[in-house]
Amino acid sequence: MAMKVDPKEIQSVQVLTPRLQKLKAEWEAAEPQVYVDDTLLFTQSWKETEGLPIDIRWAKALEKRLLECPLLIRDDEIIVGSLTKFIRGNGTLCAMKPHEIYEMCQTGRFARKTSDTESTKITPEDLAALKADAEYWMEHMPKVSTVNAALAYDMGEDVFDLLFDRGCVFEGRGVRYKMDRGLFQNYSAYGGGVAQVSAKCIDNGLNHVIELCKKEKERMMAEGDTHSHGSAQFLRKYWLLEACIISCEAFIKFARRHADLAREMAAKETREWRKKELLRIAEACERCPAEPPRDFFEAIQCVRMYHLVCWKESSDRPEVPVGRLDQLLYKYYEADKKAGKITAQDAAELLGALWLKIRECENLVTIPREQRAAPGSLLPNITLCGTDKDGNDLTNELSWLILEAMAQVKLSEPAIYIRYHPNMDPEFVLHALRCNREFGGGNPAFLNDILGTQRYLDRGVPIEDACNWSASGCLGYHLDCMEHLGGGHNINQTKLFELALNDGFDPRTQKQLGPHTGDASKFTSLEQIMEAYYKQLEYFVPVLHRIKVLTLCTEITDGPMSGLRCAMQYEDCIREGLTPKEGGARYPEGRTSWLGSRGLVDIADSLAAIKKLVFDEKKVTMAEMLDALKNNWEGREDLRQMCLNAPKYGNDDDYVDEIYDQLSTKVPEIMQRWIDPITGKKPMLFIGAAAGHIAIGKAVGALPNGRLAGSPVNDAACSVMPGMDVNGPTAAINSATKGPYAKEYVGYAMNMKFSKSVLNTDEKLQKLAWLIKAFMKRGGWHIQFNIHSREELLAAQANPAEHKNLLVRVGGYSAYFIDLPKSLQDEIVNRTMHEMV
Amino acid sequence: MENIKGIVFNIQRYSIDDGPGVRTTVFMKGCPLSCLWCSNPESQCMKPEVTYRYTSCKRCGTCVEVCPEGIITLDDDGVHIDRTKCTLCGECVSNCLPQALQISGKEMTVDEVFKVVKKDADYYEASGGGVTASGGEILVQADFVAELFKRCREAGFHTNADTSGFGDPAALKKILEYADLVFYDLKHLDPAKHMEYTGQTNELILQNLKLVADSGVPMVIRVPLIPGYNNSDENLHALGKTVAEVTKDSVVNILPYHRYGANKYRMIDMTYQLEGVPELTQDELNHAKEIIESYGLKCEISK
Repeated sequence: MAMKVDPKEIQSVQVLTPRLQKLKAEWEAAEPQVYVDDTLLFTQSWKETEGLPIDIRWAKALEKRLLECPLLIRDDEIIVGSLTKFIRGNGTLCAMKPHEIYEMCQTGRFARKTSDTESTKITPEDLAALKADAEYWMEHMPKVSTVNAALAYDMGEDVFDLLFDRGCVFEGRGVRYKMDRGLFQNYSAYGGGVAQVSAKCIDNGLNHVIELCKKEKERMMAEGDTHSHGSAQFLRKYWLLEACIISCEAFIKFARRHADLAREMAAKETREWRKKELLRIAEACERCPAEPPRDFFEAIQCVRMYHLVCWKESSDRPEVPVGRLDQLLYKYYEADKKAGKITAQDAAELLGALWLKIRECENLVTIPREQRAAPGSLLPNITLCGTDKDGNDLTNELSWLILEAMAQVKLSEPAIYIRYHPNMDPEFVLHALRCNREFGGGNPAFLNDILGTQRYLDRGVPIEDACNWSASGCLGYHLDCMEHLGGGHNINQTKLFELALNDGFDPRTQKQLGPHTGDASKFTSLEQIMEAYYKQLEYFVPVLHRIKVLTLCTEITDGPMSGLRCAMQYEDCIREGLTPKEGGARYPEGRTSWLGSRGLVDIADSLAAIKKLVFDEKKVTMAEMLDALKNNWEGREDLRQMCLNAPKYGNDDDYVDEIYDQLSTKVPEIMQRWIDPITGKKPMLFIGAAAGHIAIGKAVGALPNGRLAGSPVNDAACSVMPGMDVNGPTAAINSATKGPYAKEYVGYAMNMKFSKSVLNTDEKLQKLAWLIKAFMKRGGWHIQFNIHSREELLAAQANPAEHKNLLVRVGGYSAYFIDLPKSLQDEIVNRTMHEMV
Repeated sequence: MENIKGIVFNIQRYSIDDGPGVRTTVFMKGCPLSCLWCSNPESQCMKPEVTYRYTSCKRCGTCVEVCPEGIITLDDDGVHIDRTKCTLCGECVSNCLPQALQISGKEMTVDEVFKVVKKDADYYEASGGGVTASGGEILVQADFVAELFKRCREAGFHTNADTSGFGDPAALKKILEYADLVFYDLKHLDPAKHMEYTGQTNELILQNLKLVADSGVPMVIRVPLIPGYNNSDENLHALGKTVAEVTKDSVVNILPYHRYGANKYRMIDMTYQLEGVPELTQDELNHAKEIIESYGLKCEISK
C-alpha cells in the first residue's frame, strides 16, 4: 500500500529552485556548439581494434568514449552526467553519416532548421578535426549500401521506384535513394525502444550482471552451451558476453570518473554546503551503477547515468525511453520519506534536475528538422501509473510529483504518458490536466491502460509481464526490458489510393508502379474504386514483407551486437546469447518491423467526396474529378471547394464514418493475410506516427478530399483533416471510436486542440477529464490535448477558412474565433501569448 | 406527440458552460425579447434566415447572380440581403462555395433532435451531464422542449431549461415537469428599464420566477451584467432582495458582459447597439457579487 498523497503538498513544491532556474537559464542562453571529442575517440578506437570481432570493436569504441571523453560537472549541479563538455553541446558520430557531416563541414553551416539563420557554433580546430574525421569515414565506410545491394540483387532495380525518395509507396526507414548511413547502416535508427533504462539493472547493480556474464562464459566452456545451436552461434554468444562485460565495466568506470571529478572539485570548494554536496555526488557515482542505490538521491543519479550512457552508445539517433519512472523510483522515495530523510520538496528539486539533464542532451542535426519524421524530438519518454497484475492502481506520490516537475520546468521533453484506467483517483486526473494546462502542448498524453495490457494478453503474454509496458518511440509502446520494438515499415496508403485512381500508374514519377486495376474514369460505383484500391494493397503487402525481411536482416547481419543492450535485458539475453533486436528478448515478436499505414482518413474523406458529388448528386463526372486531380485543381477551385465541403471524418457523420469503418476493417485484414516471415506470426500493425505525414505527402498528388498535391496527409491515425472537425470533441471522438479500431492498430492517437479558456477553471478541467473517461470506455487508445498557440490564432486570423473550428469561450457562451471582431481577436491573441510557454 | 416539430438554430455538443457535466445544448429559434446585448441575435426571429459570415466571403458575387428575387447586393462591406423579401429558397446558400452564406434555423422533429442528442450518451454517463434547451426562448416552443426533455429523462439524461422566463406560465409548467434544473435569466428589476432594454416589461418574468421557485426544481439565477445598463447598485440591490424573497437556495450567477456576439449582427444585416461599451473590471464584478451576497444569497461570477 502506497503512502497517502497530499495534493496540496505536491502543488506547493517549487521545482525550479534558484539553482535550477540558474542552470536552466544558462542552458537556454548558451549557444549550441558542435561537440567532436566523442566522434574522434570512436574513430581512434576503431583504428586500434582492427581485426577484432565486430561486437568487441563496438564495445571497445563505447569503452574508449566513456573512459576518455571530457567530463563536465556544472557549478551547483546536484544531478550530474553531461553528454558533452559544453553547456549546450551537440554530439555526433561521423562513422554513422560521414557524407552529411562532410557537406556541413564544407559549407561551414551547421543549421538545425533550413530556416535558421544562425549556425551551430564550432571552433576552427574542431571544424578541421571533424572534417578530417568525416573524410576518414568516407574512405572507410562501405562504398555501397549493403541494404540497397541486397534489395537490388533480390528484387531488381525497380524496387527503388517504390521507396522513399521516388514513388514513395513505402516510407522505408533509411532505405533512401540517397544513402548516408555510414558504418552500420541504420544501426540506431531502429525505431523506439532501442536501449532502455533498466529498472532491474539499477536495482541489482551492474556488478551482478557482469558476474552473470562471466559465469555463463565459464559454464559454456566447462559444460558446452546447450542454448545456442551451431558453432557460429556459439562464437557470437561468446563475444556478446564479452562485449556485455566490457560495456558494463566501462559504464561503472565512467560513473567513477565523475566521482573523482566531484572529489577534486570538493577539495577546491570553499563553500562548505557545496563541498558536502560534491562529496555526496562522489559517493553516489562511486557506488552506482555497480551496486544498488541506497536512497532516492542515489537512485535518481543512477537513472541519469543509465540514460546518458544508453544515449552515448546509440550515438546517432538515440531514442532512449526512460520508462516507468514513478514505479522505478518509488521504493527509494518511500523509504527515505518514511525515515524522514526527504520531503516532497527535496524530491521535486531532484526530479527537476534530472529533467534538465535529460533535456539538455542534443545531437547534431544533419537533416533539417522540417524533413525529418519526428522533428525536434529524441523521444526520452516517461510513463506513469497503470495497474499491476491484479488490477490495482499504481499511481503514487511520484506520479504526482513528476507531472508537477514537467509543468514547472516547461521544456519540450521528456514527454509524459499516463497509463489511464477507470479506477484512477479523479483528483490525480485533474492534477494531470492542470499540469497539461500549465504546460500547454499535449503533455501528458493519456494511454488506455486496460487496452495496452489486453493487446499483450491476446498475444499470449502472461499477466505478470503483460502489465509492465511503457511508451516508446513516437507513438509505440513495449514491454519494459522484455522486448525490442522494431519500428515501422510504412505503407503510404494515400499513394496506393492515387494509384487505384490511375490504373496503377503514378502521375508523379510517370511510371506504372502498381498493377492495372481498371480505368477509374469508367467506374460507376464506390465499391469499384474501393476494390481497385484493395487490389493495389494486396499487390504491395507481400512486396513490403520482402523488402522488410531484406532490410532488417541485412541491418542485423552487418551490424554489431550491443553488449549494453544485452545487459539491459540480461535475464533473457545472456541465456539466449542474442541481443534484443536479434530475438534475444523474452518476447521476440516485436523485433520485427511493424507494418504501418498512413492516410486512411484522407482516403475515407476522398471516397465520401466522390460518393456525394459523383455518384449521389451527380454534380460532376468521375472523368471530370480525375482531370481536376491531375491538374492539381487548376481552373477547378469550384470543384475543390465542393470537395472540401463534402462530409468529413471527425464529425460523427455516418455518411463518411461508414466508409472509414469499411476501410478500417478491410485494410488490416489484407495486411495480416500474409504471415510475418521473420516470426512466422501475424504481423503487428501500426498506424499514424509523428510527422512522417509531411514527407510522404510530398509524393502524393491532389486527392478528392480537396487536398492539394504535395501537401501533408493527415497527421495521426484518427486525427481529422485540419479545421474540418466542426462538431466539437465528442463528435470527433465518436468518429474515431465507432469500431474497435485501436484493438489491432498500435499508434492510434487522437490529437485534440483546445483553447486555454476551455480549461480556465477546475470545473472545466473536470469536464475534460470526463471526456477522457468516455474516450477510454469507448475503446480509444491514446488521447492528448493541445492548447492552441499564438501562431495558430494568427494563422486563423489570416486564413479563417482553414480554422473554422477554433473555439474561444467566456461565460455561458462560446464563439468561433473567426467570427470575433478583429480588435477582440487581437486581444485574445495577446492574452494567449502571455499565458503560453 | 412524438413527431412534434420545432425550429432549432444550433445543436452544440460538448457544451460545458450550460449545466453540470458534459452537455448538448439545443438552441431553439425565436424570442419575444430583443435585448440590446443579445449575443445570439440570429435566435430572435422565429423563422429560419440566411446568415452571412463576412470573414469567409470571397466577394465572388455568385450569390448576387443566382438570387431569383434580385435582393442581394455586394459592396465594399461585402454582401447585403434585403431580408424583408427573402423567400429562403436557398439558391445563394447552395452556390456559396466558401460557405459564407448559410441558413440558420431548421425545422426538426423531436425524434431528429433526440437522435443527435443521443450520440453523446457515453459522455453524459461519464460526467452526469445531459441536455440543455436554450434559445431564443424555449417557452415559445414549450411543447417541443417538454417532449424532448421527456425523451431525455427516459434515457437517463439530465435536463436543463435555460429561459428568460418571458412566456405563458402554462408553457413553463409543461417544461418544469421534465426539467432537472432551470437557468433563469433576470435582467432588470425596473419595469420601464426592462422595457427599454429588452422590448418587454418584467412582470411576467417575476411572476414566473416564483412559479419555478415553488415547483421545487433547482434553479440558477443568471444575470447578464451590462455596464451602464443594469449594474447600478440600485438594480443589484433590488435584484438581490427580490431573489431572496422568492428563493434562498438558488445560486445567482453573474455573466459578465462580453462582445462575442457583436459580429453576428452583421451576419443578419442588423446593427449592434452596444458598440463602445467596455467590459467590466474585476472590481466592478466583485462589487456586484458583494451586493447580491448581502441578501444571504450564494453568488458566482462566470469565467
